[in-house]
Amino acid sequence: MRWGLLVAACSFRCVKRQLSFPQQWATFARAWYLLDARMQPPGKIAAVTAVRLEGRHKPIYHALSDCGDHVVIINTRHIAFSGNKWEQKVYSSHSGYPGGFKQVTATQLHMKDPTAIVKLTIYRMLPKNLQRRTMMQRLHLFPDDVIPEDIQKNLVEELPQPRAVPKRLDEYTPEEIAAFPMVWTPLFAGNRRLTHYGQIHNIKVDH
Amino acid sequence: MAAPSLLRGGLRRLFAGLVGNGRASPPARALREVVEVTEGNTTTIEGRIIEDAEVPAPPNPSGQCPICRWNLKHKYDYVDVLLLSQFIRSDGGMLPRKITGLCLEEHKKIAVCVQMAHRAGLLPNHRPLLPEGHIPKKPKLNRQARLKKFSKGSEIQPQTPPRWPLPRLHAGCNCPMCI
Repeated sequence: MRWGLLVAACSFRCVKRQLSFPQQWATFARAWYLLDARMQPPGKIAAVTAVRLEGRHKPIYHALSDCGDHVVIINTRHIAFSGNKWEQKVYSSHSGYPGGFKQVTATQLHMKDPTAIVKLTIYRMLPKNLQRRTMMQRLHLFPDDVIPEDIQKNLVEELPQPRAVPKRLDEYTPEEIAAFPMVWTPLFAGNRRLTHYGQIHNIKVDH
Repeated sequence: MAAPSLLRGGLRRLFAGLVGNGRASPPARALREVVEVTEGNTTTIEGRIIEDAEVPAPPNPSGQCPICRWNLKHKYDYVDVLLLSQFIRSDGGMLPRKITGLCLEEHKKIAVCVQMAHRAGLLPNHRPLLPEGHIPKKPKLNRQARLKKFSKGSEIQPQTPPRWPLPRLHAGCNCPMCI
């Protein structure tokens, strides 16, 4: 029995586990992900995207294995910065010629090119090596909802948005608005507050 | 001054009683419903007083302000637009505290939350009236509010120990390198 166990243990260690063809394909194939950037901060979008572009979300990740995926980001025109970053965040560049230093606010850059902010943020979040340019080639940015058909056919999964978008007041249905109770009621003449839970209280107001 | 206003109020009430032949005048302020009735050539637009407005009972009737009465003391955020919209005017400003009945700290908190909601674009219909033909020059960009200390999302962070000087565990050596 003991010999049997030993032999079994040896064979377990020595035998290579072969992956089947579909298993191999599913593990090493390059996937296409979709991400909606509407009302999202560009930093959080970039963090999620950089992880996917590198391939760090896979257990088979290695820096040299080129295991990154494609990411398609839509609605980059509708990103939302917090605070006063639209006016205060500065993007600098130098053309290389003397006097060629340019500083542009986030608003100006966004008006000129609606995908530039997200592109720069992702570029700066990726590791600073030669694979960065290859990963950026696998990133596809679109300012609006419109995606070319050939890219649309490749999409596999939509990634969840990193920030929960709050509901605007005009997005609530009239039923929801009616269901929400009035928290206060206006004072009537004689300083009566309309309270229908039992009595009407006479409230004295000092002038 | 207080005295002339009191006199004026009192005199007005006396005169109203005398002139109106003892008839009770309708209350000056009440919840009214606008009703438009067309009979042939005449259209009557009337503000009928709603006496029996249905108000559900708050869970804590002994509270001093609406927030305490409804047990919402630390439970709301700039996102709860349905609550915040009850305390604002149609052009986005806050209603006075004497009308709403809020206590000072809750009034200030709601004012801050309303400002955050405006900046995040959650109250699009409560904008100030602009003159006709006014074209806004600023580009319309999405913004989100930065969380404040008392809002739901940000809990007050615990104080992390300082990173420098590094905490060292070995005992005995008192030389400057090891301390």
